[in-house]
Amino acid sequence: MTGWHAPDDLVTRYADGSLAEADAWSLETHLENCGPCAVRVSHAARAGAAGVMLAEVRDAVLNAVREPAPTTARTAAPATTQVPASASAPAVSRGARAVGGRLARIAWAAGPALRGPWSVAVVLVAVGAVALAYGGGSASARPFLLAVAPLVPVAGVALSYGRHADPLHEIVAASPSGGLRLLLMRTSAVLAVSLPLLTAAGLLLPPPGSRLPAAPASATWLLPGLALTLATLVLSGYVGCRTATAVVGGGWLLALAAPVLSATGSGLTARLTQQLSLYFTGASPQGGWAAAAALCALLLAARRSAYDRLETM
Amino acid sequence: MNIPRATGMPAMSGDDLPGTATAMDGGGLRTTAIRVSGLTVRHRRTTALDAVDLDFGPGVHGLLGPNGAGKTSLIRVLATVAKPTAGQVEMLGSDLHGHRERSAVRRELGYLPQDFGYYPGFTVREFVAYVGWLKELSAASAPAAVERAVARVGLADRIDAKVKTLSGGMIRRVGIAQAIVNDPRVLLLDEPTAGLDPEQRVEFRALLRELGSTSTVLVSTHLVEDVAAACTDVTLIEAGQVAYRGTPRSLAALGANGHESDGNATERGYTAALRAHRAARAAGAGR
Repeated sequence: MTGWHAPDDLVTRYADGSLAEADAWSLETHLENCGPCAVRVSHAARAGAAGVMLAEVRDAVLNAVREPAPTTARTAAPATTQVPASASAPAVSRGARAVGGRLARIAWAAGPALRGPWSVAVVLVAVGAVALAYGGGSASARPFLLAVAPLVPVAGVALSYGRHADPLHEIVAASPSGGLRLLLMRTSAVLAVSLPLLTAAGLLLPPPGSRLPAAPASATWLLPGLALTLATLVLSGYVGCRTATAVVGGGWLLALAAPVLSATGSGLTARLTQQLSLYFTGASPQGGWAAAAALCALLLAARRSAYDRLETM
Repeated sequence: MNIPRATGMPAMSGDDLPGTATAMDGGGLRTTAIRVSGLTVRHRRTTALDAVDLDFGPGVHGLLGPNGAGKTSLIRVLATVAKPTAGQVEMLGSDLHGHRERSAVRRELGYLPQDFGYYPGFTVREFVAYVGWLKELSAASAPAAVERAVARVGLADRIDAKVKTLSGGMIRRVGIAQAIVNDPRVLLLDEPTAGLDPEQRVEFRALLRELGSTSTVLVSTHLVEDVAAACTDVTLIEAGQVAYRGTPRSLAALGANGHESDGNATERGYTAALRAHRAARAAGAGR
């Protein structure tokens, strides 16, 4: 642009309509290409006499769009009609509330786990692994992360749903959203947080030294993590989320620790790495995890009405 | 089971009587909103409800009884939260067996549990809106419904206050607001007046009467005066059985002869009905 900007008095006179027509046209031509001046004119127009009316029109349009039912529009009306003096302020805050409302809805759907200590634990595991690898120079960071990672979403399930985890559960259980649907939504939120974070932490780790057996790649825990999470959900339908998490999480730790501790020879880290490779690396273990995940998903679908009642959760 | 029934039910319209509300309306046959038969609930060894038969139509129904009588067990079964050990439950014409039917009933249900928690950090508006979301209110109607529900319990000026900063009575009113946010056809309130001061209780009874004009409201309470002031009829539960059914007036009539030192007429009637039921049970057991 030319570097010329509309002087303030021109903007003010344009906004209140007192500018000569020819000058107004030329200013309009300038505004089409100059963002800063357009913003100033817009502010001036809103601050002027037309502003109140603009805000009222905006409110009316937004209300008509948001509330198709005439009854609800009527109940909402008092909130809009009682504040004509500062009509532009509620219009802005209502827009902000709509965006905030959508975010809040997502956060609510995410459930109690993401609000509580669980998300702290996810970050601690991820940051802890990276800090261990770089700070301590320890080669055990990667196997440690891979061994613990599947437990994180499994624990998230226990902290998401059921009378032990959710202070609102009695009310949740009496609502149409309660049951498997909400449990799945909350589990999805848990997975959406933990999978990327832990996988990214794995990618950040330095490559292992050559004297140790190569640990499985960072993403290899994803399918096992998913399968164990789904298994927890299936088991929850029988014994409740908390017990299911304890059984599945404990089972996973046992499946890792028993062979590692009973074997002799090379160091603990090397044995853990070997065991993890056995479970994670290659097409057949991964295929097995995928099959297990699919089986659990089918079981969940078949038993979905078992999640409707409080007693089991 | 011997249920003493009030003989002359005074001052009640026929539609409000349990079991008689079968008038036709636009949608077809309007059945009794709640009907349970042979309802039995056991928790491990103890029997909370023992083969109870009850039905409720539109109106405000008081559920009286000593602590541990089975009031909460009944309300939790009706809230579709607890599963009955035996017996039939029919709500809004559905037997609650299928997942789809259960969800449909839950959309029409309001429930205030005896104890309820809330997420720390939630404001009144967020809390009630969350329950509205759980009850599948549409995003368009939810904000207005939330403000209306909160205004009806008299908390409009505290709508953006954090729930944890409120007093016990206010939190109970928030609980009532979440129960009515979806304009339920069946409203189940377990001890709603606990923690309310006398003035709030008076306001709450007015709200109850208003709600009862369109929906079926079940209120469990151990405060006999709540029942006398706000309920269209009374069900007295004792040790898992229905000990008495009638109106507040018929209950007061039971206690007409007695001393004011034993409480007012309704309270004396409550005690009399309870004792009559216990005596009948003891006689039955002794036979």
